[in-house]
Amino acid sequence: MHDLGGTHGFGPVPIEIDEPLFHERWEGRVWRMLAAVMARTTIDRFRYTIEQMPPAEYLASSYYERWLWAIEHLAAEQGILDSADEPATVARPSPATPTWAGPFHEGDRVRVRNPVTNGHTRVPRYLRRHVGRVERVAFAWPNPGESAVTGTYGEPELVYTVAFAAADLFGPAADHTITADLGESDLEEP
Amino acid sequence: MSDLTPAQRTEILERHLHDHGHVDSGDVDAAIAAAESASGDGPSPALGARIVARAWTDADFRARLLNDPVAALAEYHPQTVPIAVLEDTASVHNVIVCTLCSCYPGGLLGNPPAWYKSFEYRSRVVREPRAVLAEFGMEVDSSVELRVHDSTAEQRYLVLPLRPAGTDGWDEEQLASLVTRNSMIGTGRPLAP
Repeated sequence: MHDLGGTHGFGPVPIEIDEPLFHERWEGRVWRMLAAVMARTTIDRFRYTIEQMPPAEYLASSYYERWLWAIEHLAAEQGILDSADEPATVARPSPATPTWAGPFHEGDRVRVRNPVTNGHTRVPRYLRRHVGRVERVAFAWPNPGESAVTGTYGEPELVYTVAFAAADLFGPAADHTITADLGESDLEEP
Repeated sequence: MSDLTPAQRTEILERHLHDHGHVDSGDVDAAIAAAESASGDGPSPALGARIVARAWTDADFRARLLNDPVAALAEYHPQTVPIAVLEDTASVHNVIVCTLCSCYPGGLLGNPPAWYKSFEYRSRVVREPRAVLAEFGMEVDSSVELRVHDSTAEQRYLVLPLRPAGTDGWDEEQLASLVTRNSMIGTGRPLAP
């Protein structure tokens, strides 16, 4: 249910003036406890876990309720609810600029693949099969679909910032530009 | 769905994790208090405002911030993920979103506001950004290119808004007082002097 970009039916943005950091005491505790499960896995597996929520439950849950659901599931999966095992270290990727070249370059037209999967992908539905233009080679990062399965970070791939004309995605009234950051394996020549 | 309230489920989870040494409940209390007080040099809208104000007054820093943001921002706070700084101009206005979850420049601005994580913002701002910005009281002229950046990977974005007119001669601290959180997300402008 998480893939919401462009979905119809949602009303005005709920803007709260001077909102507190946490609206209820338990929210802050959930926020902090995320670190216990994240020490043993990847951000991608955390997101993938939230994505397992039944859609109706996802939409009926608040932000930190979705975190709570995911932490409960990850903690059970990791066995740390009943055991005092030390976490294995999950090595984090580097935000440094990549030094190697890939198949696509600034200015190239690229098509977004249609990565249908029962697993995890960071390609939003509203961009699939659409053609955009590479704005820049942005960084390098391990493939999120793999990191979600393994719970560790593998070899990085190039990630490109790709620009799309919103009119191609949402009709002629949309006069804006949209960019998204897409991995090499999610792009192809148009 | 569980019959327990989120507060009850949180208590059960915390008891298990605390009893097995994975969470220290005293540390949880301290971390919440520190985040709520938002003082010091850690990530917060105030930190972002200082960075924006410096970029408005220091051309060399601005160039470094735009060309190598991870290195430039490390002077303020170490960045663990890539970051890109989006420069607003007279003809371009930038807005950030995460349609898939809630990716946000937390390493600079702290936790995102609830509206940023809402289904309404996530679903609508990519499809009808001018209507969404109007709900924030913001009109973007049709001659200005609106660029909406969906944070679909680990790169985070910070909007570098336009310096308000009428601030000639202002120093960094004065300028920082005009920089709002929303102006660094793209759903607002800096305050008028």
